[in-house]
Amino acid sequence: MSELKPGTKIGLNGGGQVEIIKELGRGGQGIVYLVNLDGAQMALKWYLNDPGDKFYKNLERNINAGAPSDAFLWPEYITKRESGSFGYVMKVRPRNYYEFGNYLLAKVTFKSVTAMLAAAMKICDGFMMLHRHGYSYQDLNDGNFFIDPSTGDVLICDNDNVMPQGDKSGIMGKARYMAPEIVAGGIPDKYSDQFSLSVILFMLFYANHPFEGARVVACPCMTESYEKKFYGSEAIFIYDPNNDTNRPVRGIHQNVIRRWMAFPQLLRETFIDQFSEEKLRNPNTRLIEMKWKDIINKVRDEMVVCPHCGDEAFVEIKDSSTRCMNCGKTINTSLRLILGSRELPLTPKTEIFIDTDNIPDGRVAVDTTGTTLIQNVSPDAWVVETASGKIKQVDPQGYMPAKPGLKIKLKIHNEDYNLEITTK
Amino acid sequence: MALLDDVVSVPRRTMTVFFMIDTSGSMEGNKIGAVNDAVVNVLPMVDEISQTNPDAEIKVAALEFSSGTKWLYNEPKLASEFVWQDVRAGGLTSLGAACIELNNKLSRSGYMQAASGSFAPAIILLSDGGPTDDFQSGLTKLKSNKWFQAAIKVAIAIGDDADKDVLKDFTGSSESVLIVHNIEALKQIIRTVVVTSSQIGSKSSTAGDVSKQDQVIKDITDAVGDIKGAESAAAPAPAADNYDDWD
Ligand SMILES: [Zn+2]
Repeated sequence: MSELKPGTKIGLNGGGQVEIIKELGRGGQGIVYLVNLDGAQMALKWYLNDPGDKFYKNLERNINAGAPSDAFLWPEYITKRESGSFGYVMKVRPRNYYEFGNYLLAKVTFKSVTAMLAAAMKICDGFMMLHRHGYSYQDLNDGNFFIDPSTGDVLICDNDNVMPQGDKSGIMGKARYMAPEIVAGGIPDKYSDQFSLSVILFMLFYANHPFEGARVVACPCMTESYEKKFYGSEAIFIYDPNNDTNRPVRGIHQNVIRRWMAFPQLLRETFIDQFSEEKLRNPNTRLIEMKWKDIINKVRDEMVVCPHCGDEAFVEIKDSSTRCMNCGKTINTSLRLILGSRELPLTPKTEIFIDTDNIPDGRVAVDTTGTTLIQNVSPDAWVVETASGKIKQVDPQGYMPAKPGLKIKLKIHNEDYNLEITTK
Repeated sequence: MALLDDVVSVPRRTMTVFFMIDTSGSMEGNKIGAVNDAVVNVLPMVDEISQTNPDAEIKVAALEFSSGTKWLYNEPKLASEFVWQDVRAGGLTSLGAACIELNNKLSRSGYMQAASGSFAPAIILLSDGGPTDDFQSGLTKLKSNKWFQAAIKVAIAIGDDADKDVLKDFTGSSESVLIVHNIEALKQIIRTVVVTSSQIGSKSSTAGDVSKQDQVIKDITDAVGDIKGAESAAAPAPAADNYDDWD
């Protein structure tokens, strides 16, 4: 076991060195130190015991390949093997990002549903990019995410077990987050990542565990063999429509009981499907991240700002009006922006998210005469075609009336989008 | 949305760390002083682990045994609420009675009644001698207890007079018996054992079907190698003569 004292200098592979400033935290495997690298403050994760050649080489390869997306607090430099072990250098996590566990313990709460949805989107996007680069994460659990409660921005940490899909890191994962096939002794891969991702998303939205209901609470002592049963061979989703033996318990699973029906049906249907026996048993039939992103988009489309109370509210997209879940007044959602299979209700003050980068592209406003407008808050001009065929341009920060029949063409991150305003 | 404001903590299972402390006459002086000091200093660490752990809430229970047995509190307590009363040494070593006492509390009508359920407990036995009562029948009874069977069990043998075979019987393996030869090592070992057992619920496991007990023992054994004056009972004992004959 090797610990480093402040002032110790450790050489980096490929030149340069870091100097230990102080310890930031420690876990089972290692210690994270604040270090100085050429005048910049960085973080060094130092392993208490040298994890071996294979691990070192893999880490080196990941560093050379670079981060799959900006969601990752990715290793940037690896140290030489000195002082009995080695470590890697990454950016320091900013103070306004809190470990996901703090949200589960209700020590930190999302400032808004918008932020919660942004977090979900960013997590899905991160793993989509990771898998697209041919990696699997292997050990996805609640300890890997740091989230900004006001924006929902996410940093994914502990990227040292990331391996090319199919390779073995030797890690199995954390109980309660491992896919059933891994609990049964399988090797983690992108499909087991996708299972763990669904668990994380469920916990992010509903703040309870998808398999922990009456049946699991009744077990007095969670031994390893029970763990294998309840999270593996005999896992039962708490809202499994075909099996009600593991429903959430009042007074214990309060969050999910309150939120389950309040959050959109689409979310309920997706989780019921993802945690069905069929999907638990057949890893390659699980939802891919891109599909998760579509679903989160649609859930976000169903979230509006109530024009009466100003609070966020979910609306039912199939209806032309919904009663606000906060103030009980009726929200008229008949005016819609159509984008492929998506329908975005145009209610005043609601932000319009077209792509998945969590940055609003439009905002709904009302002028002094009561006409509903859409403001272009994206960096590029929109081209609008009127019902009679006239072409108009809406510059950044400019407004257009939300008139049914208007067709909008716009470009975001070099991707073309065609939208149309209609009424329901 | 109002729904977000009323969020409550996820339910956590309780993991109880049991200390079984030999307070017989031979523990008097430095040894008992070091135990008291180590436990007082490790409690804030346990509190920190418990407070930041979304998987398990960690509680502490302590049983001292000498001529009789005595629980420091009549229920497991959060580390933050556990005010350690220094234990005093004197009397015999009723380890058999302590086993029976532990067996009584390792039940849902005893100490294991957390509303959201429990994890298997961790049991840490500290002793510097051998039992003076009927240890075997006490242990036999305890060994039939399911909570005890599932528990993480570690014994710390203080000095050479500790009966290692008895401790091995208690934990079930020589790997989980740690021997300390000085006060500093004793303090460090207590810290390592308590912290490692407290963290076990929130750790990722590695391939090879390693049980939690094995994982804890492996982590502790790794750490013991760096503590001067501590060794695992499974490791070869240091040679007393420094191999002078081999010069
Ligand atoms: Zn309202």
